Amino acid sequence: MTRMLEVRGLRKIYRRGLLDRTPTFQLSADFAIDEPAIVGMMGPNGSGKTTLFELVTGSNAPTEGEVLVQGRNIHKVRTDQRDRLAIHYHQSYQVRHFRSYTPNLLLDAAGSAYPLVHLFDEPQFNTQDGYIGFMLDFFRKLRAQGRLVFLCVHPNERFHLEIIEEICERFIFVQKGTVTALDTFDALLAHEPARAYLGTLLPGARP
Amino acid sequence: MTLFQATGLQKRFGARVVLENITLGIEEGTVHGIMGPNGAGKTTCFHLLTGHHAPDAGSIVFAGRNIAGLPPHRIARLGIARSFQIMNLFDDTVVIENVLLALPAFKAQTGRIFGNGFADRTLIDAALAVLDMVGLADSAWSKTKSLSYGNRRALEIAVALAAEPRIVFLDEPTSGLGVEATRALAALIRRLRTRYTICLIEHDMRFLFGLADRISVIHWGQVITEGTPAELMANKWVARSSLREAV
Repeated sequence: MTRMLEVRGLRKIYRRGLLDRTPTFQLSADFAIDEPAIVGMMGPNGSGKTTLFELVTGSNAPTEGEVLVQGRNIHKVRTDQRDRLAIHYHQSYQVRHFRSYTPNLLLDAAGSAYPLVHLFDEPQFNTQDGYIGFMLDFFRKLRAQGRLVFLCVHPNERFHLEIIEEICERFIFVQKGTVTALDTFDALLAHEPARAYLGTLLPGARP
Repeated sequence: MTLFQATGLQKRFGARVVLENITLGIEEGTVHGIMGPNGAGKTTCFHLLTGHHAPDAGSIVFAGRNIAGLPPHRIARLGIARSFQIMNLFDDTVVIENVLLALPAFKAQTGRIFGNGFADRTLIDAALAVLDMVGLADSAWSKTKSLSYGNRRALEIAVALAAEPRIVFLDEPTSGLGVEATRALAALIRRLRTRYTICLIEHDMRFLFGLADRISVIHWGQVITEGTPAELMANKWVARSSLREAV
């Protein structure tokens, strides 16, 4: 069976400059998701969440490793068709900006009409306006249509954690460039860096 | 009957994808609401539906005819009228002139040498009838600039109605209106719904929930959910929000 998403030996290294090759930031990821799901992604600011999203959508090139969406290496797909495999949603708009040194003529076709992987970068959740419910319905609809949904959240209120528990089936925690895949909400709450990150939002903790 | 059907509309501006995949249908004789948070693509959607922008992909079928990509004046002639978020009125005229100028019969006259719409009693009566629909018959001969903000908005709707449309699109009609004026506008739209199909784009959810038969919620350039106000209200998170007190 072809896996929905496979992130294989992925590494992105940012260096200080062309001459001074001291790494300033490194991200490593190795995980796979076999079936449609809603995956919650969390981690402190600057830990590499957005970089990971960019690597998965093919808008940022990895230093090594590959990202396979339904068996297709996204970095070898024509730049004008990468958004048929994966889309990165910013808070309210979407930017598709791809670069590749290989001309599109030599790259593969996406082989898909509607994107398989949807990555939502910190959607604005506030309880005032009621849009949360509509957004959650949308994530569920995508999943029911056989898509893979990533939801990157930066919980700073208890109900954010409530949303995550309600809707996410799997989790990814990113800390200082290290990506940990966790299978359940309980596993997330047991993961030490996640506990430290969530702090007072943890169930039972005093606010 | 579905009077207006948009399918798979896409619009980008450079690398920025504003609308990804907009699909929505509007039934004849209903009020259809389109809502979404700031930056969701509502106004771009409105421009596409009313022919101001051509979509990059997708179709728009109005009364059985694909209108996607037709120029705005052709679309208007087919029976689609729209308002603007920024009001377009002739300030130095009297109220009725704004409506007169928009009447198709008046436009037909301007080509003739001896025609004078301003002196034609039947045209004036037609314009008065339109003003009466929006509750401005008494102000017909007042200076346009003397109208209150709420009445200006009503006049703008009258200008749209003067074109004898089958469907009227209103872009954020409550913007800038106070509580009283918003209430008066809601009453006006309720009166109009018996004669026209109306599509409202609004960020004021309460206003929309009280008026619309169906609502399409837009976010990230897509219709993320759609339903009657009651169906949308049934959502647990909506029930927890301030919208609960709306209806």
